[in-house]
Amino acid sequence: MNILIVEDESRIAKRIERMTRDILGETLQSLTHINTLHEALFFIENNALDLVLLDLNLNGDNGFDLLTTVVSESFHTIVISAYKDQAIAAFEYGVLDFVPKPFNRDRLEQAFNRASTKEKTENNKIKLLAIKKRGRIQLIPIDDLLYIKGAGAYTELFLADGKKELHDKSLEKLEQLLSHTFERIHKSYLVRISEIKEVIIESGSKYIAELKNGERIPIGRTKYKDIKAKWL
Amino acid sequence: MNLRFLPCFLLVLLLVTACSQNPVYKKYKTVFKVGDQQEWAAKNWNDQGWKKHIRLIPDGQVYWLRTPIDILKSPESLHPYGIQLDVYGEYEVFWDGVLIGKNGNPGQESILPPEGKMWATFSIPTDLTEEGEHILAIRSSLYYFPDHSGIWGLEIDYYDDLLTDRLIESSYMHLFAGAFLITSFYFLFLFLSNKKEYATLIFSICCFLFFTLILAEYIKAYLPIHYSMHVIRLKTIGILMLGISFLIPFYFSMQFPFPKRKLLLTIYTGVLFYIFLSKHIFELTTNNMAISMWLFSFGIVVFGVYKKMKGARLVLLTILLSVLIGFVTPFNKSLFAGFSLILLGMFYLLSLRIKEQRLAYENSLVQSTRLRLELLKKNIQPHFLMNTLTSLIDWIEEAPKKGVLFIEALAKEFDLFNQIESKTLIPVSQEIMLCHSHLEIMEYRKEISYFWQEEGISPEEKIPPGILLTLLENGITHSMPLEDNSIKFKLIFESSINFKCYTFLTFASRITETKNDKKEGTGLKYVKARLTESYQERWDFTSEPMNHGWKNTIKIYS
Repeated sequence: MNILIVEDESRIAKRIERMTRDILGETLQSLTHINTLHEALFFIENNALDLVLLDLNLNGDNGFDLLTTVVSESFHTIVISAYKDQAIAAFEYGVLDFVPKPFNRDRLEQAFNRASTKEKTENNKIKLLAIKKRGRIQLIPIDDLLYIKGAGAYTELFLADGKKELHDKSLEKLEQLLSHTFERIHKSYLVRISEIKEVIIESGSKYIAELKNGERIPIGRTKYKDIKAKWL
Repeated sequence: MNLRFLPCFLLVLLLVTACSQNPVYKKYKTVFKVGDQQEWAAKNWNDQGWKKHIRLIPDGQVYWLRTPIDILKSPESLHPYGIQLDVYGEYEVFWDGVLIGKNGNPGQESILPPEGKMWATFSIPTDLTEEGEHILAIRSSLYYFPDHSGIWGLEIDYYDDLLTDRLIESSYMHLFAGAFLITSFYFLFLFLSNKKEYATLIFSICCFLFFTLILAEYIKAYLPIHYSMHVIRLKTIGILMLGISFLIPFYFSMQFPFPKRKLLLTIYTGVLFYIFLSKHIFELTTNNMAISMWLFSFGIVVFGVYKKMKGARLVLLTILLSVLIGFVTPFNKSLFAGFSLILLGMFYLLSLRIKEQRLAYENSLVQSTRLRLELLKKNIQPHFLMNTLTSLIDWIEEAPKKGVLFIEALAKEFDLFNQIESKTLIPVSQEIMLCHSHLEIMEYRKEISYFWQEEGISPEEKIPPGILLTLLENGITHSMPLEDNSIKFKLIFESSINFKCYTFLTFASRITETKNDKKEGTGLKYVKARLTESYQERWDFTSEPMNHGWKNTIKIYS
């Protein structure tokens, strides 16, 4: 794993670094520590990362500017902050976890587990997805999202108004963030459960989910049982 | 506010008193003749050749005045008419040839001491006041004011009423005056307890002058004044009027400030003095001064209304009401009614200002409490507390001995905070101690070497608590260490006769600027609010980046 720590308190940064090495052991490929917002943005643009550990209050700056940028990237973000009252806002932006200070090794390990074991989060607060569009960050309300289609490393977001947007995160990562309202019905599709009108069984054991707007999305054979269980 | 109804109430009261019943007599033109013949008192004497005016009657010569008077209604039986005269000189009064009264010794003034009074009332025998024509003849001499011949005032009514009405009127006016005297004292004491409030002093003086003015006007009812002394009373009234006429617009100019205030006030004072000194017809002088006062005040208040200043509209109303009263009542009454209305307006303004002051004071209390909380919050706000605790845990886990030192540094900072939290000013040495302990904590947290330097500090100088600490915190958060992993701070104190100046320098490499830098942070707001709390407007504060880091200057003017 390639990890970036953004933290302006040197002692705390060292603590995170030490614990991260300890927890991840062999799986850790690189670990970088940066203590200013500006440098962090530059680093993110130019390096491939798997996880960012981010302090929201850097040198008196509000870290939410940085936050919108990092959540639009392909990697997951874990916020480590002294301000517990910012947790809800951070979750709304789609961070994987929020670790309040002071923290211990167990809490940090829990956060790492979420990231590495593809464990679904209990984040039911996510409200926005940040996407990069023409060099700028745009925030899309989750409520506007009908379904998501995996397209290699990135994903396509299909919106209620018929538009299609691209997101840098993989379908697996988005599934982790959106698991409370979205269901993986196919290896390439993540669909909002409430949008499914009916499940159609076609000849040759083909399962199709028909959405309220008439679109038809295939259901994976293996997934069908799960969905059937949930629906009945 | 109930004060709004007061002017209306006063107006009604005045209108009621102003409309007295019809007079029982009709007075014709007075004729004059210098000389002395007892026959001139007779009812049927032919005074065809007598003069309409005599400008000067020198050397205390005797002269006669004859005034035909029609009695329109005979008096009730046992209820004689009287005549009240306002005449300069010492004189004898004849009614239809009969001597009805004597006021001094006409013709003998140069020999005898002054005798008699300005306002005298004489009873007229009932048998001489039948309906029809009568003649009032006065034998008089004017030794002291030879140019004041003639009848200045004349009133015929029931003798008892003439005497009692005057006393009743003046007793009411004295009650009225007493109210202003008390008001004057009250506001004087108010001023003495807060000597910055000149408006209360001016209002107090106005009330006092008004009190004396009423006294001077109505003193004639019970204090006999010889005509030679009467000029003193008139001069007193003139001077009082001058004072009031100046102070009322001056007061309004304080409440409703307007451009070129000094110049206009000087011109106005010039006009007042011109009126005061130019003519010696006292009634006219008083009148002119009252009118100029009214006009100038009106101008100021209209300006106040135009600028939408607080209270200006009600004051304008009182001023307009006072002019309305001026139209419907005789001058001496309207003068007092008008003045009291205007004084009420001033009173209203003062009450508004007092209210404003109270609110401002309450606000300042709230502000002080807020600043105190702000100071306390520095140590419990999550950014400080949680980061410190996280670092502390780490130190304890990794190097317990250092962890203990860290806790001690933290304890010291909390202790210092406890000592200063409720104060508005503390010795600078205490503030510096606070900075030291803060730096110690931050060294454990940030693992950067912080250096502190001082220059020219006088330890006992007082400053508001937490302001240097705030600047230090800003220095720590907004800068990156130099190449040797250090940040240096330097506090310089300079003082001169006019001001004291603290310069606080941060030597560090600056963080690349982001747009947030332009916004004023809560830290700087705190510094400014603390300076305002202790020094009002007498301070300057600048905070600016420099090559080597950051520079803050606090200037406090004495």
